[in-house]
Amino acid sequence: MTTEIVNTQNLHKIYDQNSETPYEALKGISFTVNKGEFVGIMGASGSGKTTLLNILATLDKPTSGSVQIGGDDITQLTPNEMSDFRSKKLGFIFQDFNLLETLTVFENIALPLSLQNVKGSVSKEKVQRAASRLGIDQLLTKYPTQLSGGQKQRVAAARALVSDPSIIFGDEPTGALDSTNARELLDTLQQINQAGVSILLVTHDPFSASFCKRILFIKDGRIGEEIQIGNRNRTEFYQEILEKLGTFEQ
Amino acid sequence: MLFKIAFSGVRARWKDYLVLFSGIIMAAAIFYMFEAIALNKKFVASTTVGQNARAVFILGAVLLVIITLVYVFYANNFLMGMRKHDYGLFIMLGAKSTKISKLIAFETLIVGLVSTMVGVVAGMALTKIVSGFLVSALEIPVKYFQALYGPAVWVTLILFMVLFLIASFINARIFAKTPALKLLKAENQTDWKQPKTSRLLIQAVLGIFLLVVGYYAMYNIQSLKLNAIWIGLVTIVVGTYFIVNSFFVILLQKIQRSALNNRGINSFTIAQLKFRIRDYTKILSVVSLLFALALGAITVGVGFQSDIPEIANGQNAYAISATNPSAEISARIAKVGGKSTVNYQQKISGKTVYYRAGEFQQKPIKYAAFVMKGKNAGFSQVKTSSLNQLKNPDSSAYQQLVALQNPNLRAFKVKWVSDGVFNQLKGRVNQLQLVRVRDINSQYKSLKAVLEQQKKEFGPQVVQTMGESIVMYTMVKSAFASMEFMGVFLGIAFLAMLASCLMFKILSGAESDKVRFEMLNKIGTRRRVLRQSIMLQILGLFALPAILGLIDVGFGLQMFSQTHLLYHAYNTFMYSAIAFLVLYLIYYGVTVLIYQKIVIPKTRSEK
Repeated sequence: MTTEIVNTQNLHKIYDQNSETPYEALKGISFTVNKGEFVGIMGASGSGKTTLLNILATLDKPTSGSVQIGGDDITQLTPNEMSDFRSKKLGFIFQDFNLLETLTVFENIALPLSLQNVKGSVSKEKVQRAASRLGIDQLLTKYPTQLSGGQKQRVAAARALVSDPSIIFGDEPTGALDSTNARELLDTLQQINQAGVSILLVTHDPFSASFCKRILFIKDGRIGEEIQIGNRNRTEFYQEILEKLGTFEQ
Repeated sequence: MLFKIAFSGVRARWKDYLVLFSGIIMAAAIFYMFEAIALNKKFVASTTVGQNARAVFILGAVLLVIITLVYVFYANNFLMGMRKHDYGLFIMLGAKSTKISKLIAFETLIVGLVSTMVGVVAGMALTKIVSGFLVSALEIPVKYFQALYGPAVWVTLILFMVLFLIASFINARIFAKTPALKLLKAENQTDWKQPKTSRLLIQAVLGIFLLVVGYYAMYNIQSLKLNAIWIGLVTIVVGTYFIVNSFFVILLQKIQRSALNNRGINSFTIAQLKFRIRDYTKILSVVSLLFALALGAITVGVGFQSDIPEIANGQNAYAISATNPSAEISARIAKVGGKSTVNYQQKISGKTVYYRAGEFQQKPIKYAAFVMKGKNAGFSQVKTSSLNQLKNPDSSAYQQLVALQNPNLRAFKVKWVSDGVFNQLKGRVNQLQLVRVRDINSQYKSLKAVLEQQKKEFGPQVVQTMGESIVMYTMVKSAFASMEFMGVFLGIAFLAMLASCLMFKILSGAESDKVRFEMLNKIGTRRRVLRQSIMLQILGLFALPAILGLIDVGFGLQMFSQTHLLYHAYNTFMYSAIAFLVLYLIYYGVTVLIYQKIVIPKTRSEK
């Protein structure tokens, strides 16, 4: 039996609702992500990807509709509960790493744990585990400026992973990486996913998307199409994504 | 066309420009304020310590020029930070870099010129307001002082223009030499490096050593004379720089290694502070010195004020003396509160003033002394005189009584006789009325009213020579007035300067902090925690120079107490420090509020 990690029902988001020119970014989005899934959301810029991600991440509120993550209706949370929810249940990997350059790699990874006031010894162990999972345990005392782009993104991934979140959100995580580093990061994400962590990846890059198991295409605020990798290999899936993008964007 | 585009860039970032402009305006205004008093030779010379004050003015001018330099440098960096991307884009799109260089030089100069001119006008207004306030609040008459002072206008304009001219040359060069791509990406470059612990340690030790030398020099001002000031100036300036640069970084590193670091976003707060202090070394050093100078100036200025009643009370035990007081004088004496009055009968015969011995035995007269040395130095003492003591013409009691009699009796002898002899003496019986007050400060107004009436009746020259303590009080008060005015005025000017510079420097870094706080918000930091982190970070930056400054003043006041220039320096220190810190805290609060407004993200879900 599968359990749902994310369940959105009929999400609408209208900006400037009371103005003369309201803009509807999301027009009734419904989808679910099951535990252990690796889901991609693809779409051109302006399609509503970022709005959707912001709502899922409790950084924005939908105009109507419901969002459940791990069983909690996140649209009903108070600001403080939202903060706590983000620190405990969600992991983030951003395009521009978003590491704090004044903190060491260790401190950067430990930050979500510090927010929950996890004890020093426990926190240390968790950071070590996340770091070795991403192969950066040799870098813990270094500062972000001493790292390459690929290493920085691994640190960001370790930070997203460290508090054992229900789901990891990736917002174009390979956007600032060269192809080798991008590939390595995606391999790592795949390994993490295989170990049971759910991942939701927002991207417009077909290569990144081909690492997902299921892809939702968004166009003009609606989910237009959905494809699954099924029993195919990644190269075949990549081909299908390219074809879909070709027809979908027209 | 390019000019138009450049100007539209300014409009788009008007908030940032507001920070930039208000910072420079404040710097120029306060520099003017300082020069208005420092360059006014007539005014400075009119003060009792006019000559001694010169050292203070030189020191103040040097520090103000340094902080102005540092500030203009920061302001210019801030300006360049804003413009690099825009102008880099223009070059990218095909604008000639020579043309852009000219444009940025021009912009720098315009920014400098406009804000300096506004600053000078603001400086005049500030000078007027502050001096007006001081004159009315402290009741001090100030001569030769004027808010609009030509030389100060020129010095301020010239200094700032030279600084901005240099800045515009540097900026033009940067645009001419830096490739467009690098300009575009300028904002993403950081150069944070972990400092070497051994180097920090050496600097910390050297810093403490230099401060100790400086403090010791000030303590020994009696033997070192003016050298003490020069030694102190150099060692404390350099020592402060080293301390800020190293000692506090080491301290923060220690905290970082403790368990405290693992709670909430402490690790972030401490790291930010550590990162910042290194970036702020210069400004924090100068701020701490200015802090010391400002607080010192106010403490010394007000310190003189607190010496006044003791000096006056040490002159004579009686505030007012009146021989056969007129109805007007009696009416005014009646209004004096907290007083005790004593009357002695007096007859004049030949060149001798006669009193009833019995009266002086029954109501012994008091006399006063001002203690110069020992435990009670700086305080007045009042003693009661026996008749025998009083009869000795060399005694203080005798001399002080003579000074209380009508001035035309100065050369007369004084004798005490029995009632029988007194009654037989020819001539009319005079009443010598002596008034003592418990608190001369609080009764100043009513006592002064008596004094004014006396001047009316006997002429100001005559009254001026009388021994009543209110005469001394008014004399010392007006002599110290300009000192006090200068001290408090400079103190306020320095405080405004240092706090503004610190505030604008901190605010100018807010933009680059935005990303960090946004990220912290995304990973689930509560807003309250973010706000606390900002409060702590800015508190660190404000507290550091304040602590150093307080220590500086604590030792610096030795210069005044060792030389007996001031007796109650440390009593005043407590009050002036509290008042000063309150003003400083207001600046801190404003900075925190503005900073929080800039950096704490408002996610849409929280609107």
